[in-house]
Amino acid sequence: MSAVVLALKALRFVLFTFTASHIDIVKLFVCLCIFVLIEDWIIPSDTEVALRMMQEQFPKIDKVSVPPFVLLSQLYSTVKDRTFVDRELEVMKQQRLVRVFKLSTGQDDFAIMFFHDYIAQVNAAKSRLEGKHPQKDLIIFDWYINHILPIHNDVGITYMHLESLLYRVGQSLHENHISLLIKAGFLVRQLAEDKSYWLAIPNIGFLLKNLTQGRKELLSLLSRRQYKEMLMSLLEKKKLRMSQLGMQFHIRDLIGSGQLCLSRTPAGWLVHIPRG
Amino acid sequence: MVGRRETGGLSPHRFRALLQRKWLHSMELASHKEVVSAHKSGINSLQIDVTDARYLLSGAADGSVAVYDIELSTCYEHSTQTSKHEALFMVDKGVPRGHQYSVSCVHWYPIDTGIFVTGSFDNFVNVWDTNTAQFSSEDTKIRLCDIGSGAFTHTLTGHRDSVWAVQWSTKSEWVLVSGGCDGAIRFWDIRRAGCYQVLDQQCSQTGRRPPVLKAVLKNHERMENNTMASSSLRKSSSTKQRGQKRHFGVSASDSRTAHYGSVTGLQMTSDGSYLISAGKDSRLRLWDVESGCNTLVNYPSVYVRGHKGMRMALSPDSSLLFIPSDNSIQVRDVWSGHAYPSLRGHYDLTNCCTFHPQGQELYSGSNDRKILVWAPPCHSDTEEPEREVCEQTIRADEDAWSD
Repeated sequence: MSAVVLALKALRFVLFTFTASHIDIVKLFVCLCIFVLIEDWIIPSDTEVALRMMQEQFPKIDKVSVPPFVLLSQLYSTVKDRTFVDRELEVMKQQRLVRVFKLSTGQDDFAIMFFHDYIAQVNAAKSRLEGKHPQKDLIIFDWYINHILPIHNDVGITYMHLESLLYRVGQSLHENHISLLIKAGFLVRQLAEDKSYWLAIPNIGFLLKNLTQGRKELLSLLSRRQYKEMLMSLLEKKKLRMSQLGMQFHIRDLIGSGQLCLSRTPAGWLVHIPRG
Repeated sequence: MVGRRETGGLSPHRFRALLQRKWLHSMELASHKEVVSAHKSGINSLQIDVTDARYLLSGAADGSVAVYDIELSTCYEHSTQTSKHEALFMVDKGVPRGHQYSVSCVHWYPIDTGIFVTGSFDNFVNVWDTNTAQFSSEDTKIRLCDIGSGAFTHTLTGHRDSVWAVQWSTKSEWVLVSGGCDGAIRFWDIRRAGCYQVLDQQCSQTGRRPPVLKAVLKNHERMENNTMASSSLRKSSSTKQRGQKRHFGVSASDSRTAHYGSVTGLQMTSDGSYLISAGKDSRLRLWDVESGCNTLVNYPSVYVRGHKGMRMALSPDSSLLFIPSDNSIQVRDVWSGHAYPSLRGHYDLTNCCTFHPQGQELYSGSNDRKILVWAPPCHSDTEEPEREVCEQTIRADEDAWSD
């Protein structure tokens, strides 16, 4: 993926120098057209590149069948400008490329998943529950895909809003539908408020446990070192006992959330716990 | 730079902006000025009076309130060339009807100098006369007091949890903004009942609001789309519009939130068109007040404690934001969220900071009982490369007209 992007960037550069050196109106026009096309359509934003890269590096875990997701803090650790990330993510959300989910592990933890992965998960859940529930209840999965997910970008949803979204297309919502969605793990009740829900990724509980315990383990590992620091190359070779998500996943997450810092040394990147 | 000003190459407006910006970015612990704190515990709130910009008011966790003169020093130390500013007076628990618990908020009365209002965890709001109306409370209601009669004039209900941050709008004298522990930020017009706007973190725009013309065009397009859509859609949208017209404002049951977790600090820009809020989720958000949208500026690595209100400060030209965070004061660019080197000097958690409205000084209060003064260095010599950078950035966001 990144190689393709690099090649495209190189091509763009060549075109640019070409346009700069030959002042022939027709050629200039053609080149500019190509230039604009490449700029707009082919070259993805930094955020998207980072997302796809990290999605591919998501660890393979046999026990649970969760499609790869990326934490928001991991994006922050890779892309330099955070405002940029937030804005590009918002655009991608509106283009229905990705979905953002709130995680219960912390107040500022969000998971990002590609839209088609999530849709595939809903379809899988539907085929799994086929036959166990009446067809008139199962239709909620189709509604969920067609009428709720594309319109509603928010991480949470209220019962009233769900009802009104379905009412708009002439459907009516029953309690059975909600309980089916909760059972399949696509909705989770919000504790603070009555009748409102978080949109969720099913079967993610196991990974969340891994996430919190892995964070704790990594931080305690570093804080037990003499200077609370370690070289990145050494740290990446270590294995975490409590988490199957892999060292790289956790290092990125903690750097992005500001609980770890990176600094450059002659021996390579150094990971340390921020002082003061 | 002065030479170019003399020859007329630099307009006075830009000259001033350049100097101010340079000073702002070189803030450090002031060596020429020292405020001798009279408090025996951490300082929760600071404010400088608006009219004279001379008296600094501070409220502390032991229930005491003190006033300092920040222009006339009480004594001058020749060896270190420091002028010391001691408290003019202090009121604490010993004074009859003083606050019994921690003072959470102090505020000068904007119209009459010499009167100030303090709010405290003992659920009282006291008005002191030395020669209103804003406070944060542990209540779910906001009460506005009339200091003439001592009675409540307004009770604003809507928050579902205690309110920690309140601010008057700098644009309209009737508009009050409040942030609660339920994560909601509500706008109130005190002439009318109920709140009229609730900020929603999901409603966002990228960057500054588009100019009016474009916005109108966009609305027009949307309208056209609506008419092209199915009849049921049109019906629902039209009923919605009618509904909005009938009920002015937003109902109390509206559960939109601006932050996950409580809102602990609010600060409005000096022109009143943007609002900065801090929440327990360690996020700071910049809101466009007119559209009610989150502008998605990310201020990195700020830590916000959730158990206490805090007070942020803005530089007078609304370009830099000072945030008390942990033991230091973080400095961020308001419009991009870019982090500048933080101001370190306190030994304990910082609670509040306030910027001198006319000068170039920042005052900060912390749990280590100190009030520190931050100012640009006294003998500043011009640096060439920095100037160039400053100029470019200024030109980029300068207005088009000439003066």
